[in-house]
Amino acid sequence: MTSLRTRMMWMSILCCGLITTNGIAISSDTKKETVVRGIAPEKVADFVHSIIEADRTVYTSHVVNRMHDKGIVSANEHWEQQNALPLPAQFLQRAGRLVAKKGSGVRYRLISLWPIYRRNGPATDFERQGLEAVTKNPGTPYRGIVKSGKKQYFQSIYADKAVAKACVDCHNSHPLSPKRDFTLNSVLGGIVITIPIEP
Amino acid sequence: MDATHQQQGGATVKRGLKRRLILSMLLVGALPLTIGLLMAFLQGTKEIREVSGTNFEALATETARKVDLILNEELATNSQITTDVNIIHALETRRDQLAEYSDEALQALMAQETQAWTEKDPAFVQSLTENELVTILRRYDGGTYVDPGHPIPIVTRSATRGLFLTDVAGRLVATLTTTIPYAHNRTPWWKGAMNKGVGQPFIENVAFNEQLDVYTFTLSLPIMDSIRYQVVGVLHRIFDAKEFFAPSIETIRFGKTGHVMLIDGNGKVLSCPVLPTGTSLSDPNIIPLVTPMQNGWTAAPSDGHGGTRSSIIGFAPLPTTSRITQASTGMGWHMFVWQSSEELFAPIDHLFTWVSVFGLLSIALLATLGAIAAGRIVTPIRHLQEAAKLIGRGQWQEPIKIQTNDELEELADEMNRMNRQLASTFAGLESEVASKAQEVQYLQESTSQILDSVPDPVIMLDHHQHIQYMNRASKEALHVNNNGHAVEGEPLFHVLKTDTSTIKRLGEEFQSICAGSGNENMPVDSASPTFQRELRDPLQQQSDWSSTSDGREFHVDNQAYRYEWFTVRARPGQDPRIGLVFRDVTEESLLQDRLLKEEKLASLGVLSAGIGHELNNPLVGVIGLGEAIQQEDNPTQIKEYAGNIIQHGRRMASIIKDFTGLATAELKERLTRVNINEQLDHALHTVKQTHETSSFIIRTNYQSLPSLNVNPQEFSQALTNILTNSVQAMTRGDTLDITTTLTDNVMHITIEDSGTGIPRTQLSKIFDPFFTTKPQGTGAGLGLTIARRIIQKYGGQIQITSQEGEGTTCLITFPSDENNSSEVKEDAS
Repeated sequence: MTSLRTRMMWMSILCCGLITTNGIAISSDTKKETVVRGIAPEKVADFVHSIIEADRTVYTSHVVNRMHDKGIVSANEHWEQQNALPLPAQFLQRAGRLVAKKGSGVRYRLISLWPIYRRNGPATDFERQGLEAVTKNPGTPYRGIVKSGKKQYFQSIYADKAVAKACVDCHNSHPLSPKRDFTLNSVLGGIVITIPIEP
Repeated sequence: MDATHQQQGGATVKRGLKRRLILSMLLVGALPLTIGLLMAFLQGTKEIREVSGTNFEALATETARKVDLILNEELATNSQITTDVNIIHALETRRDQLAEYSDEALQALMAQETQAWTEKDPAFVQSLTENELVTILRRYDGGTYVDPGHPIPIVTRSATRGLFLTDVAGRLVATLTTTIPYAHNRTPWWKGAMNKGVGQPFIENVAFNEQLDVYTFTLSLPIMDSIRYQVVGVLHRIFDAKEFFAPSIETIRFGKTGHVMLIDGNGKVLSCPVLPTGTSLSDPNIIPLVTPMQNGWTAAPSDGHGGTRSSIIGFAPLPTTSRITQASTGMGWHMFVWQSSEELFAPIDHLFTWVSVFGLLSIALLATLGAIAAGRIVTPIRHLQEAAKLIGRGQWQEPIKIQTNDELEELADEMNRMNRQLASTFAGLESEVASKAQEVQYLQESTSQILDSVPDPVIMLDHHQHIQYMNRASKEALHVNNNGHAVEGEPLFHVLKTDTSTIKRLGEEFQSICAGSGNENMPVDSASPTFQRELRDPLQQQSDWSSTSDGREFHVDNQAYRYEWFTVRARPGQDPRIGLVFRDVTEESLLQDRLLKEEKLASLGVLSAGIGHELNNPLVGVIGLGEAIQQEDNPTQIKEYAGNIIQHGRRMASIIKDFTGLATAELKERLTRVNINEQLDHALHTVKQTHETSSFIIRTNYQSLPSLNVNPQEFSQALTNILTNSVQAMTRGDTLDITTTLTDNVMHITIEDSGTGIPRTQLSKIFDPFFTTKPQGTGAGLGLTIARRIIQKYGGQIQITSQEGEGTTCLITFPSDENNSSEVKEDAS
């Protein structure tokens, strides 16, 4: 179990490392592109999003579901105390924090209009509007420039659907969940990717 | 002595039985009782431990959840501050300002401001304690901004020892108190909450705060920027650990010592009603036992409060808080429920005491009841035992009275019945025995009377030659004084006083009879030839010449006794008795001797007549020839007559020689040991000289024989006579076989001729004196008579068998025993 967990960790770190490397590459490219040719932040956000989503899908289908089906270990919200696997959402959040700690600048979070924990609610009006937009139109990400003090950031919000039955069940049954009528493929929230823009 | 020993033995057995009964009752009762009580005690102990453990665990879990909720609420309350837009804005502004500083400039600024704060520059202090942000903080702390229904607990406010904000550089931005440092960029709580700009709640462990002089723990929450991208500042709250936790922990008490305490993963006490905050558990060994991330209870070897007795400890981690503290400092916070061992195990001790007392009481009760019961069982058994002993000794006693209504009573009844039956049987037996005894006495008396009336002395002996009985005749004969002491039991030869050699002989005979008495019975036979000594015609041949009774005589006081041994059949298991019966034959002997002399004289007369007759014929011839010589002148004729006279004279000499051989045979009694084979050769030589034997075939076949103690001349004469007879019966071409053999200690001499043989009618007469088949003047008819006498004299026997016309066989046998051969038979003398 420990080795499994360790392997998970390594995998996560690997994934994050990949993402970060990509991010660094992208950001350095962006710098150059700004000077030379430039790369649109929308593109960068799409790159990052595709990696995040792919990693989580791999984790969900090849780790969580497989281990669960074989009766070896299940995913649980209190995975640390109960020697379980982190939920895919927790996997994503944790990876996001690692990415943030790396200090590359690009950061992402999982947010929702109906968060189980309030800290995962929209932090700004922009985010709220973005969530509302992607709920209505999941195919199109919501993008824009936001400011924190003097700093400017590009934000792109992607719809996050319930890809597995487990997601739906958890969000419908969790005591802190404010909304309990989700179905498979319905939009649970969104992934917000923030990229700082140099003044 | 023996009886005493038996009684002692009986007493031991009695006590042993009783003791064993009590013991078995004790075992039967006490063993299951003790095991049951012990098991009840062990089970009780186990259950008390389990119940206590489960209760402690539940209490620990409940308290942990409660404290966790309080801490969570504290986190929630404070996170409201961190989302205050004004604060965020102010801190964003400060971040943007600081972004323009270079590292060196920032350090210089911080050093300058730190100095101002330390020196308590009033203007600077005021700018931090009385600015806009402080006002906001005050409002939160005072509860102004708190949602209705979510009042900030008084505890939180009173326990708060500091509430302040720091910016991205760790500088103090706003504070309610001044008892804190200015720069925090190096403190763990700031670094932890900042988390490289990502931010996370940080709860610091309890530590002693020197400035505040209390044990404190801190709560640090990151303040994110408006878009929640990065941390722009940190909210810190310092709590007095004891004051914060005491209301929720130290109020929980149960029993005298039972309480709840909060410890961190290192075993340091955060809050405890007994131990002061900040101290560690006394026994570091129990820390890993009580700080897992799951709830539970354990039987720890010590209690962590200085006690060394094993104790039951319930524990539970603070679920949410521990996750934060683990991320912050690597260790969780744990609730710990404990009660002193003495108090906790008091019910067990009480149970043990109760069980012991009850067990001892039960055993005592069992022993008493067992003793009573055993007594009730053993007493009748003792009665029975004594009764049985008395009956065994044949002492009739009163019927046994036992009324127990059980098997013992039945047994007593049975014994009574048996006793009655035995008594009646004994009575019958006694009368029978008495009558038998009378009968025996009568038989003894009658036997004694019969034997006393017998004129012949009779003595009964046991196997050791001791006298058992003497009849009157024997007492008289042996002069045993009847009024003296009894002779019964005395050795035979104390009474029978005779010469030593007779005693020896009698002793030997007695021993041989003893040895042979097992399979041979020698009844008294009054018709035995022993007592039939009658005068015999000396010319009449004795038919039973081989009688063994010859010589059974002894002499006492010049009286001669002829005696006979006999054995009396023994009773089973006893040696047979041996009897000696004897008869005074003194007069008989004298008569016998006289008769013998007369016989000899008569014999002499017959002899003289024979001799006369024998001598008469040649004598007549001699006289006639003498007369003829007187009248004859012719010398030739005279010579012839003289020759005839000489012939007649020789004949007469021969007759006289034969006679002297018969009459003087026993004159020279000089015995020497001779070789029979040599004697045979010698005799054969003599025969060859006197008879013409050249035409016969003479064969000798000798076997080595033991020597014989005889008079050699006599013995040689006997052999010569026999051989002469054989040779005289032989004609030309006949054979003579002389053979000696030794078989079973018996020497055999066989002289076998193939001569004319003896007619059956004459065979019985051949040993008679003067019986002869030869013509008158040829033989005296004494040869075989003399030969037989000589042979019998030396213990030998002679047998002659003959078939007329085929030959004659003469068989002479001698026992090889030298004693027998040396003895001279009385008859011969």
